[in-house]
Amino acid sequence: MDNQTYLVQQFTELSGALTDFNAFALNGTGLVQCYYDTLTRLVGHAIVEELLSTFVSLYESASNHEQFNEALRKHILGDEKFGPVARNIIKLWYTGTWYQMAHFWRDAYGMSEEDMTFFVNSASYAEGLLWQAIDANPSGAKGPGYGSWSAPPNIHFDNGWQFKPFTHTSK
Amino acid sequence: MSEANSTMKQVTPDSAVQNSANGKYDAVIIGSGISGAITAKELTAKGLNVLMLEAAPAKDMSYKGFKSYLSNYYENASKDNNSPYPNNPNARMPRSTDVSKLKPGVADAKGYLVQNGPLALDSTYTRVTGGTTMHWEAKILRMLPDDFSIKTKYGVGLDWPINYDDLMPFYQMAEREIGVSADVEEQGFYGIKYEPGYVYPMHGLPPSYLDKIVAKGIDGAEFVLNGETHTVKVRPFPQGRNGIPNERYNNGQGFTPVGALSTYQVEQGGRCQGNNNCVPICPVQAKYDARKTLVAAAKTGRLDFLPQAVASKVVVNEHDNNIQHIEFKHYASTSSTEHTVHQVHGKIFVLATNAIENARLMLASKLPSSSGLVGKNLMDHTYLLAWGLLPEAAGTMRGTKCTSGIADFRHGEGRKSQAPFGVDIHNDGWGWATGSPFSDVESLVDAENKFGRALRQSVVNRISNQLLFAFMVEQTADESNCVTVDEAYLDALGNQRPVIHYQLSDYSKAGIAYSRHTSKVFFQRLGAKDFSSYSPLDYGHFQYEGEDYYFRGGNHFSGTHIMGTCAANSVVDENQKSWDHNNLYLVGSGSMPSIGTSNTTLTLAALCYKTSKHIIETLSQYSVGVVSDSDYKIAKGASHE
Repeated sequence: MDNQTYLVQQFTELSGALTDFNAFALNGTGLVQCYYDTLTRLVGHAIVEELLSTFVSLYESASNHEQFNEALRKHILGDEKFGPVARNIIKLWYTGTWYQMAHFWRDAYGMSEEDMTFFVNSASYAEGLLWQAIDANPSGAKGPGYGSWSAPPNIHFDNGWQFKPFTHTSK
Repeated sequence: MSEANSTMKQVTPDSAVQNSANGKYDAVIIGSGISGAITAKELTAKGLNVLMLEAAPAKDMSYKGFKSYLSNYYENASKDNNSPYPNNPNARMPRSTDVSKLKPGVADAKGYLVQNGPLALDSTYTRVTGGTTMHWEAKILRMLPDDFSIKTKYGVGLDWPINYDDLMPFYQMAEREIGVSADVEEQGFYGIKYEPGYVYPMHGLPPSYLDKIVAKGIDGAEFVLNGETHTVKVRPFPQGRNGIPNERYNNGQGFTPVGALSTYQVEQGGRCQGNNNCVPICPVQAKYDARKTLVAAAKTGRLDFLPQAVASKVVVNEHDNNIQHIEFKHYASTSSTEHTVHQVHGKIFVLATNAIENARLMLASKLPSSSGLVGKNLMDHTYLLAWGLLPEAAGTMRGTKCTSGIADFRHGEGRKSQAPFGVDIHNDGWGWATGSPFSDVESLVDAENKFGRALRQSVVNRISNQLLFAFMVEQTADESNCVTVDEAYLDALGNQRPVIHYQLSDYSKAGIAYSRHTSKVFFQRLGAKDFSSYSPLDYGHFQYEGEDYYFRGGNHFSGTHIMGTCAANSVVDENQKSWDHNNLYLVGSGSMPSIGTSNTTLTLAALCYKTSKHIIETLSQYSVGVVSDSDYKIAKGASHE
């Protein structure tokens, strides 16, 4: 596996842990590569790679999901540098929107001029995970069919992200 | 419906001017929204030649052009009700995102509408081909018979010169043209009646799962108002969108829905798919918009359509006060203000822009009417929003924007002291109030610090459980609410912009306050947590009896050229003909002296049928080439093929 493929795979796993949608669901949006590219374009390769290697080491040292979540909160979401990036990854997946980073972060880490709030593209809006989470179609796209709204929503977690204790063969 | 049906004969300004100088046009219609489109379809079906001026470009008549609206919408970070429609400095439109809190005594001119206050009104309209029906929601209610005589019955507002019975046959025509989905047996309440055996063109849309949960909780709730008991019942709304055709329609002839307009084969829009995006754009065109009617008018070959032509002045003959011509400014591109000025003539002229633009044009032409009422009596429905979280997932964010509501506060003696209201149950949750569902995700991630499974579960609980009631409160005519013009405020082509003067009366406020009271009872019965809050910083904020509220505009501008019984008390007669100018008609919701608690489109469409009939009768007296009744199929119902 080349390094680029590896990074994208780790990005997918980190995204899964943050959003609770598994790799199958994330790949199903067709946007993994696009979001990885957007992220690296806006916050830079160095920070993204640092974030992903932090994620990998947290993953490898945790023995269960609870422990992993605790470490994720403390060392990524609760980290001055990684926290805002991780939260942007969550919002990107749930809404298809890149949100402009906070001023202090921009000042500290030298953000790109492209860092504004925007929909990544017209597909990203329609693929927002929030719609899947609530079993609704994105407003204005993927119409589910006449009368479908009359039945109760089918809310489930079948495609949720699973923590699997690390084994050295998994790379 | 699948044939190439978007071909509209467009004329150049020069040929329109030439044709009109040669006396070709029986009617010149300004505006291609539903009023203009219906009038054009009726007149051309009768053999009359019509020139229509539209201020906007007409690219959206093609399927590709329509799809570009959709891409705009998907990519636009703001999802307000004009977000799909491109900015056009030559024919600007109001956007709710332009509205902010007013400073007392300071006009706010940053949006297209100049807000003179004291309250800011965030209502909008859409200046594109097809007009505001492009973004309308398409709830399509008849007015209650009582609504036509509120002055006589309740001592408030103004009476109409006509009544429900007069409009009944025209309501039917409007329901055919729009293609209404509803069941008669669910709609005949509080005096609404139908001709014996009448059925709507299509069956009613199924209620949402959310509607059923709400109905289970609040059906049967009783409220006593002015000694009368109002018992709540959740009912479905008639919808201007395609459903399942009713085979009993038109004496068993059935109904063929009109789907998407396209230059090539696109089978789409024959039935609503539940995209939950009626406002600002139905992606499959299952929702009616006026382009469908325009295309039918164009098929006659007697409609000359001139886009990018902004009417700028109505010019009157001094000797008989008739309209001599209408001046318009034609621009070649929306990216340049370069334009040419022309004038067009016709036997009659129809202003069909909308309540604001009709008045704006008359006032900019220095024609305030002998009653002085042009621009006055500006009305809109005022909305109060109340939002809460249900104790269970209700499937919110699915279906059309709104499938059901409550009609039980629209009628009764309470109208003597407070404004009546209808209630919408919003299938799109708190969107209107808070920006849901995106704002929920933002707050769960950034403020509540959720991630992983806890986040996903919270997204469900926060969004799928949402319930929002929108209370649509009647506003009655008041001359101090008005639109004016001012040389100080011009658009890119040098046309005067509308200046809005807007306030809420205590009658309105009392209705709004009572609607809030009912929401508290509803939330209690549903075990829902009430999240409603009305900040004093909100641009629609007001206080009433010590409580805070805010209101939202309903995009139902009306009353700026009201109809009445004589030139002294109104601008137009019952046929929407100007009292002052014998060959001028001002059509649309501007003619309505009161608006009740019904979204205005069905009634204004019905009025256009009445007006068209009158125009055809009038012109046939001058023996223009009006075809015989046997060829006049539209009113009898053989349209749409």
